[in-house]
Amino acid sequence: MTTAEELDGDINDLHDRITTLKAHRANLASILLSQPHLPMRLEQRPVSNERNRRNAIKLVQKQSKRNLENIHRACASVTAYKVKDPDPYAVDDGNVLGVRIEVSIEGKFVETYHVLFNRPNAVHKTILKIHKHTIPPCIPLQPLAHRWLSTAKKSAEEPTEQDLIKFGRHLRKELVSWHLRLDALEKMRREAKLDEQSAPRERSNAEPSVGTVLNAFVSDDEESEEEDRPDEPDGLLKITSIEADAAVREVTVTWSSGRVGVFKVTKDGEVDKAVVRERDGSRSDSVGRRAIGRIAGLVNRLSQ
Amino acid sequence: MAPKPKTTVPDYKNIPHSHRLPTTHREVQRTFSKLSRQSLLSLALQWLAKKNRDFCHPYLLGDRDADEEEEDELYTPAQSYEELQEIYKELAARKGGKREVQDRILEGDWRTGVSMFQLATAEIQYLLDHPSSLRWTAKRLARIPNPKSASLDMEVTNDSEHLPRFQAQTFMANLARELTPLMKAHYLLIRIKTMPMTVLRVYIHDSPYSTETSLAVDSANPDSARSVFFIWPNGSPFVYSSIANHFGQVISDDGRHLRDIVQQAIPKAFSRPSARYQLASTNFTTKSLDALLAYRGPGKSNAASGGWSIFQDHSFSQNALDFITSQRGDGHGKHGSTKDTTGSAVKAGPGRPKRTLDEKETSETKRRREVAAGRFGSSAQPNDGQGLERVEVRIDDPFPSVLNATEQADGDTSNISEQSANRNRRGRPSLLDRSLDEIEELEGGDAWVPDVRVVFQGSHVFAGVRQLVEQGVFNGEKMPGWMTGEAGVTIGAVKEGRIRTKSVQIPGV
Repeated sequence: MTTAEELDGDINDLHDRITTLKAHRANLASILLSQPHLPMRLEQRPVSNERNRRNAIKLVQKQSKRNLENIHRACASVTAYKVKDPDPYAVDDGNVLGVRIEVSIEGKFVETYHVLFNRPNAVHKTILKIHKHTIPPCIPLQPLAHRWLSTAKKSAEEPTEQDLIKFGRHLRKELVSWHLRLDALEKMRREAKLDEQSAPRERSNAEPSVGTVLNAFVSDDEESEEEDRPDEPDGLLKITSIEADAAVREVTVTWSSGRVGVFKVTKDGEVDKAVVRERDGSRSDSVGRRAIGRIAGLVNRLSQ
Repeated sequence: MAPKPKTTVPDYKNIPHSHRLPTTHREVQRTFSKLSRQSLLSLALQWLAKKNRDFCHPYLLGDRDADEEEEDELYTPAQSYEELQEIYKELAARKGGKREVQDRILEGDWRTGVSMFQLATAEIQYLLDHPSSLRWTAKRLARIPNPKSASLDMEVTNDSEHLPRFQAQTFMANLARELTPLMKAHYLLIRIKTMPMTVLRVYIHDSPYSTETSLAVDSANPDSARSVFFIWPNGSPFVYSSIANHFGQVISDDGRHLRDIVQQAIPKAFSRPSARYQLASTNFTTKSLDALLAYRGPGKSNAASGGWSIFQDHSFSQNALDFITSQRGDGHGKHGSTKDTTGSAVKAGPGRPKRTLDEKETSETKRRREVAAGRFGSSAQPNDGQGLERVEVRIDDPFPSVLNATEQADGDTSNISEQSANRNRRGRPSLLDRSLDEIEELEGGDAWVPDVRVVFQGSHVFAGVRQLVEQGVFNGEKMPGWMTGEAGVTIGAVKEGRIRTKSVQIPGV
């Protein structure tokens, strides 16, 4: 038994090593292929095998194309491209204009979103319509399209103004601010020492439940007031959970004393409205006032 | 338990969580016999947790009357909650039959009755264990445009909201206010941990009373479904609704009617002054919750299904800092080879065809597979769990060859009468029946447009279409786009090869 397990372990180690080495090789290969004078040398130096040289040139070209594209995308962050709709019945012969929005946070490109336009209007060829997109529904794509894209219907009236640049700029702003809010929420959890990796698992081991019952307030039993875990002896309040909706526009913070605070967040990450209630339902204004400000320092301000 | 009032008067209250049904009640028996041992155990522990004890009072030793006999009990009542928790933890640790747990719950610890809370959590547990046990219809909460401030509704500012705000307490209060004059109901609203959604279960009690005794009486119609489920995926304007019918149970008109009442109340409960909502159909019905979350969910995949799925996973564009070109080729090769092996395995399985024929066809099959990959992208894999089991379309294109104008007219009218007869027979009009406007529009034109409907049915319709393309039954290059599932509807009308967008689309955000 043990030998078999050992062998399995060894095999797994080897697999891991192979993958790291492969990744390393790929990395080195792309560095080598990106050498500035490589294509010229390949052209000029004599080689024994002509086919190998052509292959090499092809690889170099592929790499330099990729480098160019990546640099363009990384610097512009909103880029456009053309694709072809494979549907033979697509409008406008399947010509599709794609807009790609990169979202970068803390030195990493975390996500790429696409909006694909077609031109359904045969009379006004310049009018773009959103054909497909990968924007999550918590981003107001439709209102933005309504504002910045032309809404001329098939009737022959003159199309309203269309500004794709502004549309892209606003959409990018919405996406980036959403990701920044998500990031801020993660940081808040870390600040409040709510390790979202381990804590829920431990809790789910302790009491298996499919979810949080939201309308348990329907019963007003007296017992529920007393039953929860006793307050910390030194009177120190701890934050037990930080939750937010999908768009991170509303953050709910629960304390160990049963105090609950709901904070409204604007899109650029400002807490502009706050309600904090104690367990008995009384409103604690001072904490609520303290919460107003940037979302980044919320936990800090609350624990003062 | 509070002493039962002697007289029952009609009232305007909801049914509270703690009201109990007798364990012999049909709903209780049905629900509990469906659950697995593991689910029953986890439910029992959940009910014994401190925060739920008020709603799930078990039969403890202290509840026993002094004059009661002890001998005829199968299960001795436990001393305390902690002891019960230990018992169920022990049961969870060892193996055994499911019956053991079910009997212990129904005849032992909760012999005095199962509370509404318990029944509701049990049904929701079953729903999560079997995510394709019910048929769901996806709707969208659409803002009713305000004529005075139409432009204001669409404005995007720093603190504008374009989705209806979901506040559990306000929503429940509003919903109860809408519904209590019409019926009594028990509500349970749960935010699910494992899936990004909130579930509302409404147990409809068609009676003017909200007492325990009135609950225990089985309704006159034994087959009517009593509970209705609604699901809100987090951060999206959609609502899925379903009637919880047990296997093989027919959904009666009564059940449907009650669901409609609840459904009508939902947008009202969401509305607030200067933001009124209505439910709009999204032409999407399926049994699979995963498919619902993919097509009408909170993520990136709603408007990029079918072949466009390459835009939502990162196969179309790499990370902007990913400069490695060689590995990507490797990955593709691997992907292709795994696909090849599965393909050959499928082929070698059934009929053991001649090797030589296969060898000859490889270039052709490879081409077909590439075409399928181009049309379907990474979607429509047979085991992705996002199968739609029924897709129905009406073809609205005129009949190809035009022969005689008079004959066409005759054909058209006969067709309509036939259709209406059909409708009478089936009782319920199909969503695909032409509306009066559409019939008028057709009569205005001179081409004959027969009412042709195509229904695809199966465990995963679009994976099936993809396989047919790969095997050369469908021509992958000439196939219209709606057959790849990129339209994202399960019911619709097709004209000129495209799913028609409704002419009267409900505006809103």
